[in-house]
Amino acid sequence: MPQTNLPHPEERPGGARREGRTARSPVIGLTRMFLAFLWLGCTSFGGGTAGWLYREMVLKRRWLDEATFLSDFALGQAIPGSNGVKLTVQIGQRLRGAAGAVTALVGLLAGPFAIVLAVGAAYAGFGENRILQQMLDGVAAAVIGLTFATGLNSMTQSRPGLTGAILAAATVLGVGVLRWPMLPVVAVLAPLGIALALVEPRRR
Amino acid sequence: MSEASGGALIALGLVFAPLSLLSFGGGNAVIADIAQQSIAVHHWTSEREFADLFALSRAAPGPGSMLATLIGWKVAGVSGALIATTAFYLPSALLVFGAARLWGRWRGSVWHEAIERGLAPIAAGLFLSGGIVVLHASPAGWPVWAAAIVTTAALLRWPSLHPVPLLLAGAALFGLVAVL
Repeated sequence: MPQTNLPHPEERPGGARREGRTARSPVIGLTRMFLAFLWLGCTSFGGGTAGWLYREMVLKRRWLDEATFLSDFALGQAIPGSNGVKLTVQIGQRLRGAAGAVTALVGLLAGPFAIVLAVGAAYAGFGENRILQQMLDGVAAAVIGLTFATGLNSMTQSRPGLTGAILAAATVLGVGVLRWPMLPVVAVLAPLGIALALVEPRRR
Repeated sequence: MSEASGGALIALGLVFAPLSLLSFGGGNAVIADIAQQSIAVHHWTSEREFADLFALSRAAPGPGSMLATLIGWKVAGVSGALIATTAFYLPSALLVFGAARLWGRWRGSVWHEAIERGLAPIAAGLFLSGGIVVLHASPAGWPVWAAAIVTTAALLRWPSLHPVPLLLAGAALFGLVAVL
């Protein structure tokens, strides 16, 4: 796989690690992989699939090491899409190439797909129930809190400085408050953000 | 929902595939746009239904944005769910699959760093916008705002707090108020 040849400056020098990865982790069967991701998909409640992947794939199964996981995660930040899905594709690809990526992704999504449809069908039956709707409002409120906290956390962790804060505020104003469609807002702000990051001296 | 028309399936694909490629910072980033498209543009759901589907998608396990699956299902049954899910996840998955090699080559370059740093605040802004839009769509009013703010504060104060107890507490609290 091409990925085994990726230069990772933060990795230990020499080829020890690259060899180690293939030697240490014997080829993981596709069935085993599928079942692992199926299980993960069915048990990762509350969103934040990336955190669940870390626990299961790095800490528990040791299918890949922490540095690899984190650099994959950082890479994923510049690519759109669900973080859990991106990491799943990356891990599957590392373990078994294209077949691994497909297996892992289908495994991850199959369980939640079936569960969410069952839940949706149940909702269609009980949707008018006042108590159920109230409970869903409660779940939604907690999830919104989770969304806000993630946004604010990633804001402070990336230490964006004044320009970053203004960019974030402009995004919130345009998309959140004025409800402009996201595409033009991002199409204007993303190049601006990248250009500002290019000319601004590194902060960290 | 068996009378799913081809037009509805195409519309689902045309809405969710571009959103897949816009969801910088994770699936949460495009919730505001999913709401806009489902409620105002395509009239797939009412505001009430959208708020409910959002909560359902979060109460279920898996990546947060099974919201796309639920909306697809609401519009055109199981085939709609399949189309919406594929449209929402596949483009981004293909992109990450292809980009890994390029990215490794760029690692440490000025561009790599600028893209990561330049997009980070926009991603954070999109996260916050998603929360705001769903709050507006929720017809329950100030209790939801209050609970959302309390949850936010709790998670900022104790970042390692597990989300599931919070979801259960929200459901229990609001359910209890409804019963009383």
